[in-house]
Amino acid sequence: MPDLEIQLEVNGRKVRRFAKPYQRLIDFLRDDLDLTGTKEGCGAGECGTCSVFVNGKLVKSCLMPVAKANGAKIETIEGLAPPGELTTIQRAFYKTGASQCGYCIPGMVMAATAALRENPNADVEEIKERLGGNICRCTGYAKIIEAVEIARDVIAGRIGPAALEPESPVKSYIGSNVRRIDAPSKVSGRLRYAGDMVMPGMLHMQVLRSPHPHALIKSIDTSAAEALEGVACVITSADVPGKDGFGVFIHDQPVMARGKVRYVGEAVAAVAAEDIVTARKALSLIKVEYEPLPAIFDPEEAMRPGAPVLHDYAKDNIVKHIPIRKGDIEKGFAEADIIVEEKYETQQVEHAYLEPEAGLAYVDHDGVVTVISPSQNITHHRHMLAEILAKPINKVRFIMSPVGGGFGGKEDMIYQGMLAIAALKTHRPVRLVFTREESIISTAKRHPARITYRMGLKRNGRITAVSFKMISDGGAYAMSTEGVMRKAAILACGPYDIPNLQVDTYGVYTNNTPSGAFRTFGAMQVQFATEAHLDLCAEKLGLDPFEIRRINMMRDGALTHTKQKLGSVSLGRVLDAAEKASRWEKGPPNMRGPYRSDLGGEDTRPPCTLGARFRKVETPARQEVA
Amino acid sequence: MLLCDEYLTVTTLGEALAELQAHRGRCKIVAGATDILPWAREGRAGDVHVPVLIDISRIPELSGYQVSNGRARLGANVVFQRFLTDDLLREHLPCMPYCAVWFADDQIREQATLAGNIVNASPAADGTPPLLAMDAEIEIARLVQGSIEHRSLPLSEFVLGPGKTALEPDEIVTAITCTSMAGYGGSFQKVGRRRSLVISTVCAAALAKIDSSGQVIEDVRVAVGGIGPVPMRLKDVEDKLKGERISQDLIARVSALAADRVASRTRQEYRRSVVCGFVQAAIEEALVACGAAAPGSTQKEAAHA
Repeated sequence: MPDLEIQLEVNGRKVRRFAKPYQRLIDFLRDDLDLTGTKEGCGAGECGTCSVFVNGKLVKSCLMPVAKANGAKIETIEGLAPPGELTTIQRAFYKTGASQCGYCIPGMVMAATAALRENPNADVEEIKERLGGNICRCTGYAKIIEAVEIARDVIAGRIGPAALEPESPVKSYIGSNVRRIDAPSKVSGRLRYAGDMVMPGMLHMQVLRSPHPHALIKSIDTSAAEALEGVACVITSADVPGKDGFGVFIHDQPVMARGKVRYVGEAVAAVAAEDIVTARKALSLIKVEYEPLPAIFDPEEAMRPGAPVLHDYAKDNIVKHIPIRKGDIEKGFAEADIIVEEKYETQQVEHAYLEPEAGLAYVDHDGVVTVISPSQNITHHRHMLAEILAKPINKVRFIMSPVGGGFGGKEDMIYQGMLAIAALKTHRPVRLVFTREESIISTAKRHPARITYRMGLKRNGRITAVSFKMISDGGAYAMSTEGVMRKAAILACGPYDIPNLQVDTYGVYTNNTPSGAFRTFGAMQVQFATEAHLDLCAEKLGLDPFEIRRINMMRDGALTHTKQKLGSVSLGRVLDAAEKASRWEKGPPNMRGPYRSDLGGEDTRPPCTLGARFRKVETPARQEVA
Repeated sequence: MLLCDEYLTVTTLGEALAELQAHRGRCKIVAGATDILPWAREGRAGDVHVPVLIDISRIPELSGYQVSNGRARLGANVVFQRFLTDDLLREHLPCMPYCAVWFADDQIREQATLAGNIVNASPAADGTPPLLAMDAEIEIARLVQGSIEHRSLPLSEFVLGPGKTALEPDEIVTAITCTSMAGYGGSFQKVGRRRSLVISTVCAAALAKIDSSGQVIEDVRVAVGGIGPVPMRLKDVEDKLKGERISQDLIARVSALAADRVASRTRQEYRRSVVCGFVQAAIEEALVACGAAAPGSTQKEAAHA
């Protein structure tokens, strides 16, 4: 395989190196030139974390073979400003707090730079359009767009450079814009995430994953993989020295599948090799003999007697059932004038943080194994890993690398164990960087929930009783399911004062991708059902949806159904503000005809359009929708 | 992951065709590379080993475009961004800026070629409907006993099915020609799951011209994509509108014919319900773009209510 001679000008400096013919520009910049400000968020051109200028045009470096860039002038995030300095755009990002996790930010800064180079007077619609190829998961884009507008105006001299300076808090930090101390490292691309870190002699890990949702592992033959030149080690569950098992509440998940696989994408074996290509080749040489088992994908079916069992300790497939009882539910329903019953379903959701999981493990001179990863729970991980490795706690160390977005998705120790074992086995640093596809297939998701809601109400809108049953798909391993079920039960009926209630939340094992922690931790699912249900009840009773909430809301000093006393309750103020801001038309939800007047205001987002840069004709005024 | 043993950057068409012949069956042509790299990933083709990649993007004779005798000839290396930034192309291909702005994003458009989009023959290819509406022909070259031979065929005969074209293994698409539509209004409509970088669930392209009175549709071209194995032109819709007075009611009725063309493998019901609206919107927008009065949107909402 003849190497290609690549000559580039990168950030003003001439570079001449040999590269593999299949290398992409992103690989060359990151691996050969150590310019890790260019990130890989998806490898498929979808996310924009890898945007760089090639001969003055912004492109996605994951979609460009390095050979295609040969001879070109490349500008990366590192080259925008001299070391230690920031461009106006970078300073504006710093000012507005546009960088949160920071992983998308180098690409965003590049896209913003390209937008203002192409059109220094781009209006906000054009800015949005030109940044359309870059995804951010933290900010909701508002601060990023604001930063680009400020930068545009400072560059054009319409506003002074003082606009880039920090605001000084008037009285309190609360309510003031305070700049993040880590923002300069993010807007300049200097911050290194786990996948950006390298160590001398570092090996690259790749993971063999299960193609089956439920199967016995009859045998694993790693001999051909181990014999491959460049492979340092191949590990399976047989290499786990201690007590194999991790999880947030129940340690039911092995580092790699032990005896059987329980979901598609579960780690079965891992290879550490001199480079990723060799590691991937080795994966294809591992022979695993499976005996497929009946699999179960529906949590309600999993609860039925006779359903396939995932874990021996839980014959009923129930991870956790949280029951809550208050008052007399029979009496409450008997007092009701109407009873409204409905079912609600929510879906599985992927966190889709821009930084795919990554980690680097090494063993130091004292035999301490260290794992660097964006773990959202390092102390717990450290304790679990010590048991897994059968080492005293002082021989296991975790370093939390910057988290390029977590949202709960990085609470589970799904790959750190493999890294530690491979590092111990080889005594070399080992790094694993997930692909986006791998991240999606193998990591925890938001619990899909099926909720049966039964609510009894008086004609005047007062709730007399609620029966609430939620069945959640916990997937193949418990992860955070217990906590999610607890929180779902606690918050099940929202901020409403309900005299009689019965709440049951169930987390159930299935052969789906495991469910775990995700922002709100169970509250989103139950709130969706509660708020939708109140709207239905308002409609049935001919009440305004705000009114039915005011009638039933908890007030200062209320006792929640888990007996927590609430000193102050802001719901009344929240409802007032929401009613005003939404220009709500008073009345039951079904009172409107085809026209409504609460839409289309200045503060509502118009429908998606493109072409701001050439469509100078005003589009006809927006109209109300039916 | 896309692996190759050799990456050949050729600079003449003859060289490209010779390499293609020499490595027949074990090579792929690369132009923008924006589709082949995502293709070689998990969930699509997985890890792929193509022994030889032949990069044609530096061949001068495949670059640039000419407009003459009422036809535009677009070299195979013309990238999508060009349709947004080039005034002459915008004048002659008035629906292409709208198509381009909905295609991928600014960064990918700098690399991705229109010819590549056509050759990949995705049922949802955004580039195909506008080209069908502009009577496009595909120019193809191959090497026969050391000399370059050319042939061309209509786009409608070139794209045969999902990922299938009439291109032979030793052939390269060198250019796309189409009718200059100067004086027409153009439009492109698309729906997908995201604004940028989205694969069309349904897309529609329209071109329209009105007479001097501003009241009568002199000519109209409509084509749709994403609703069946290959994008298609809607001649029946065009015929029922040509020469007619502009009427929202008529456009709505005629656009409804598109529903029966839906032959996709998935989401047929959804596509049936939205395609007519997109065809209608595309025609209306194209008419407005060439100077017709904007249809009253209140009227439209009332009609849908």
